[in-house]
Amino acid sequence: MGLLTELARGLVRGADRMSPFTSKRGPRSYNKGRGAKKPGVLTSNKKFILFKEMVPQFVVPDLEGFKLKPYVSYRAPEGSEPPMTAKQLFTEVVAPRIEKDVKAGTFDPNNLEKYGFEPTQEGKLFQLFPKNYVR
Amino acid sequence: MHRATPPTPPLPPLPSTDRLEAPERPSRRGAMRLSALLCAGRLRLPAGYRHGTWRPGTAAAQLRNPPGLRRRKIFVEPIAREDWKVFRGDTVQVLTGKDAGKQAMVTQVVRARNWVVVEGLNTHYRYVNRTTKYAGTYIASEAPLLLNQISLVDPEDRKPTEVEWRYTEEGERVRVSLRSGRIIPLPLRQRWDGIVPEQWIDGPKDTTVEDALDKTYLPSLKTFEEEIMDAMGIVETRRAKKSYWY
Repeated sequence: MGLLTELARGLVRGADRMSPFTSKRGPRSYNKGRGAKKPGVLTSNKKFILFKEMVPQFVVPDLEGFKLKPYVSYRAPEGSEPPMTAKQLFTEVVAPRIEKDVKAGTFDPNNLEKYGFEPTQEGKLFQLFPKNYVR
Repeated sequence: MHRATPPTPPLPPLPSTDRLEAPERPSRRGAMRLSALLCAGRLRLPAGYRHGTWRPGTAAAQLRNPPGLRRRKIFVEPIAREDWKVFRGDTVQVLTGKDAGKQAMVTQVVRARNWVVVEGLNTHYRYVNRTTKYAGTYIASEAPLLLNQISLVDPEDRKPTEVEWRYTEEGERVRVSLRSGRIIPLPLRQRWDGIVPEQWIDGPKDTTVEDALDKTYLPSLKTFEEEIMDAMGIVETRRAKKSYWY
């Protein structure tokens, strides 16, 4: 109890050993990064080769006429749309196409790719599983 | 440990009962974790935490309740969450004490200790914002009152009554005064930051209500990134090299 009241008063002496030792502490010669990734490779010549593909680029579509802004007005009530589920997406997008084909008589169970079925994620740029894009 | 003065925690000069919350500025590393938890919503206070009139995440609370502090247990009459009758903004009458018989509004409620702080009543005087050169401002600060020293007031009679929770014919749960049968309406619940949504004026960075509620979503099987690539006409034929992790 004595130690804790002293701690509360700030009377315990000594440095803080448990906080991380970053490059903001220590002498000038103590050079340490803060975890940034390197977009290239350091050669034996100590030359750094930059790869343009590893440098992140922002792909921003044209926002002309875009009405949404960073914040929402306090007057807006809470939304009523439930979050989208896989079942709902299927019912809204794929099911009508299949129904139309079944009624026309052209439904082929071996050719489900035309309704969006993907048998494998290999060869796709944005694979869903395992997810290879950052969002 | 030899100490000349008896161990009393020092009281730093604080503004009185200011409920507007400044952004949490942790003073010590242990403090950082507690305020982060409070920001998350779910409060995790240690067993035997001594509640005061301060809010548990603030600097004042951390000063008085450092982690590892153990104090004598205060026994409090347990009142169920549904049976609680007094809310902030209610008019109550003080029954005992120096200001007995006076009515005022409730400014703060601490349910953990069955406390109610009434505006301007049951006051003692103290100095705030003391510095080495300035003696401090002499202000009146209210002391909390227990629930049995307080009584809710009938809105038309303006006399203290016993109150009960009952249901109206519509099924709404209301507080009813037992002496006269009148309903005591619940006080208006205000936001902690003082914003009244109905009176809000949109700023330049606020989306208007119509734009926010506009349903423009078209479900599609493409991912967001694929849709943008199609919209901007970006063609990417290279594929990432296959890598493995275990």
